[in-house]
Amino acid sequence: MKDSLVLLGRVPAHPDSRCWFLAWNPAGTLLASCGGDRRIRIWGTEGDSWICKSVLSEGHQRTVRKVAWSPCGNYLASASFDATTCIWKKNQDDFECVTTLEGHENEVKSVAWAPSGNLLATCSRDKSVWVWEVDEEDEYECVSVLNSHTQDVKHVVWHPSQELLASASYDDTVKLYREEEDDWVCCATLEGHESTVWSLAFDPSGQRLASCSDDRTVRIWRQYLPGNEQGEVHYLSCRGGMQRLLTQWKCICTLSGFHSRTIYDIACLTGALATACGDDAIRVFQEDPNSDPQQPTFSLTAHLHQAHSQDVNCVAWNPKEPGLLASCSDDGEVAFWKYQRPEGL
Amino acid sequence: MKSSRSVSCSAPLKGDAMTDLDDFIGPSQECIKPVKVEKRAGSGVAKIRIEDDGSYFQINQDGGTRRLEKAKVSLNDCLACSGCITSAETVLITQQSHEELKKVLDANKMAAPSQQRLVVVSVSPQSRASLAARFQLNPTDTARKLTSFFKKIGVHFVFDTAFSRHFSLLESQREFVRRFRGQADCRQALPLLASACPGWICYAEKTHGSFILPHISTARSPQQVMGSLVKDFFAQQQHLTPDKIYHVTVMPCYDKKLEASRPDFFNQEHQTRDVDCVLTTGEVFRLLEEEGVSLPDLEPAPLDSLCSGASAEEPSSHRGGGSGGYLEHVFRHAARELFGIHVAEVTYKPLRNKDFQEVTLEKEGQVLLHFAMAYGFRNIQNLVQRLKRGRCPYHYVEVMACPSGCLNGGGQLQAPDRPSRELLQHVERLYGMVRAEAPEDAPGVRELYTHWLQGTDSECAGRLLHTQYHAVEKASTGLGIRW
Repeated sequence: MKDSLVLLGRVPAHPDSRCWFLAWNPAGTLLASCGGDRRIRIWGTEGDSWICKSVLSEGHQRTVRKVAWSPCGNYLASASFDATTCIWKKNQDDFECVTTLEGHENEVKSVAWAPSGNLLATCSRDKSVWVWEVDEEDEYECVSVLNSHTQDVKHVVWHPSQELLASASYDDTVKLYREEEDDWVCCATLEGHESTVWSLAFDPSGQRLASCSDDRTVRIWRQYLPGNEQGEVHYLSCRGGMQRLLTQWKCICTLSGFHSRTIYDIACLTGALATACGDDAIRVFQEDPNSDPQQPTFSLTAHLHQAHSQDVNCVAWNPKEPGLLASCSDDGEVAFWKYQRPEGL
Repeated sequence: MKSSRSVSCSAPLKGDAMTDLDDFIGPSQECIKPVKVEKRAGSGVAKIRIEDDGSYFQINQDGGTRRLEKAKVSLNDCLACSGCITSAETVLITQQSHEELKKVLDANKMAAPSQQRLVVVSVSPQSRASLAARFQLNPTDTARKLTSFFKKIGVHFVFDTAFSRHFSLLESQREFVRRFRGQADCRQALPLLASACPGWICYAEKTHGSFILPHISTARSPQQVMGSLVKDFFAQQQHLTPDKIYHVTVMPCYDKKLEASRPDFFNQEHQTRDVDCVLTTGEVFRLLEEEGVSLPDLEPAPLDSLCSGASAEEPSSHRGGGSGGYLEHVFRHAARELFGIHVAEVTYKPLRNKDFQEVTLEKEGQVLLHFAMAYGFRNIQNLVQRLKRGRCPYHYVEVMACPSGCLNGGGQLQAPDRPSRELLQHVERLYGMVRAEAPEDAPGVRELYTHWLQGTDSECAGRLLHTQYHAVEKASTGLGIRW
């Protein structure tokens, strides 16, 4: 199993600090990393090695917790504990901070771009999720402030093709949001995790959502649209007894017993998922080829102990190169891995 | 501002927040409010010993001991601070409730006549509309039956804050014209932002401080003008000192409780608040239930009035929507005063959402006045950010913290058996049924300016009809970080 995940290289991305998060650009040619040193670094390949092509240092006063590339690849958003979100515009190897989004009361924990590129979501320890809209002149305006969670919101992620937003929180739930009339509303709450939900990832088809938690499990959720063949029907009872058919999300699989500590991040490919764990390990799970899509089963196909010397905070699959995985850790390093799908799967 | 405001997510407080205190953190745990202690020079490092009874003693290097004061956090300190998670505020606010009113009324029953307090209740038109919807009554009957109810339980006078709102509107109008004319001399003159919403004020003071505050109108809200009217004018009329009056207001939200407890509205001389207790519409409903009273079954009573002689047959209101009509009044007055233009109907143009609309006055292709209304946190955010960047195109903005305005306040009555949108529309209709009056023409207003305030721009008017704002220092919670 060890052979299925091979180390390609390491870089000391955020020396004497933590590396918190990684994001590949849509073309798969650049990797952005961010950390406790308040900096963002952009990595690219030069031959066989990864080198730092840019350092974005004047943007934030405190830890940069997450970074996210826009769908067009020309912008990078960074979420910081200094309560702001910076939007950087890429001009070849240079990045310029074009806007700073303010408004959250305290640490911003995550930022994510919608597939259309016109919307951005941020979330914070202030328990809220904000949706922002960007216009042609790169002006950002707040479109909605969502206060559905009852605790710190750790992560936000958009559906790959729909304007559907998901958030994960210290309140142990995952929530989904949609636009309705002139505002955004929480359209579903996924309960099941027994502790903080740290991260989320949609699978490339958007049919499934994976969540990972401090309860050391991964849960896979599936969307059931009204009128689905499985006969899953769900209503929302509003004031006035009006009932609305809702899309419902059901937990179709729970991976438990595989992780010995908190799972901090999860990344999905079609049929496979990678996890970042507080036990310093990286794991890859593959969906069993004959399992029922409504009740899938997964097998652990890679378990790399000591992938890093401390907690692994993030794992990210390269969007263009199959099997190329990047990871980062509290030890400040970024590692690159090649995942080989084991024989027979 | 979420609603559950005011601190954790900067939102106006909502009734639901009161029942769910799962995230309650005792004020002692996360409180970062420093207690003011007499400091003596020297001494160096001190030790602290905790006695069995829980009291703290400081042990000096010379062995001497000094009992330490218990840290006390006042309602206002707590509400104004951003140091901890906010449920502590929610707890403190529940202390200003209908239970308090009942205590005062009961005390009055037992007390000797010289010890009794005159109890005055001022009802807001928004609360009245909410109750009217609930009990299927028209606004006039609601006003009269509420008067009847309050008097039944021992209240002496029941007033309508639509009366004090005349003053808020007039002062706002005048202030705008003054600032518009003085634009050349003062960069911060415009935009002028409405000041009647305490949710907005608290947010502005806490988050944007000295940058935004110069833009906020100094005109007091109708609640606080009523405070001045009752504790100054009416007290004099009744030959009472202000502390002998217990003034209760009935409001559509919880943030009005914060407003009433501001130090600026505390009368130092007589050690009394201008408004002693704020009840939300919901709390009045609970009071009715607890007293076993069915409002529709009561005999209607005549309405009280602050201006002698004019005993109103029916309540009056103002045009321009359920949040007081600030935009509309300031706009029409400014059009008349500054440009000699009479505006019959004000036309609103909705922008990105229904809580953000603008109004323009144009003449020969020139924009003379550009006003907006911005309700709800997301729109306030955008307004403030634009202002910060120097890109705010408006001269005046009516800012309200609650989406859909005061009629949709967090203290209004909910109806579990009705879709909330339909209920709100009903309340809006009932609110709009009340006859609108122009503040300039309202009986009693001019006389009060002359006799009570000694003129429209007098020192008295400035003191009793205006207020000030205070930026709150942001507390850094470096030690309290939870990843």
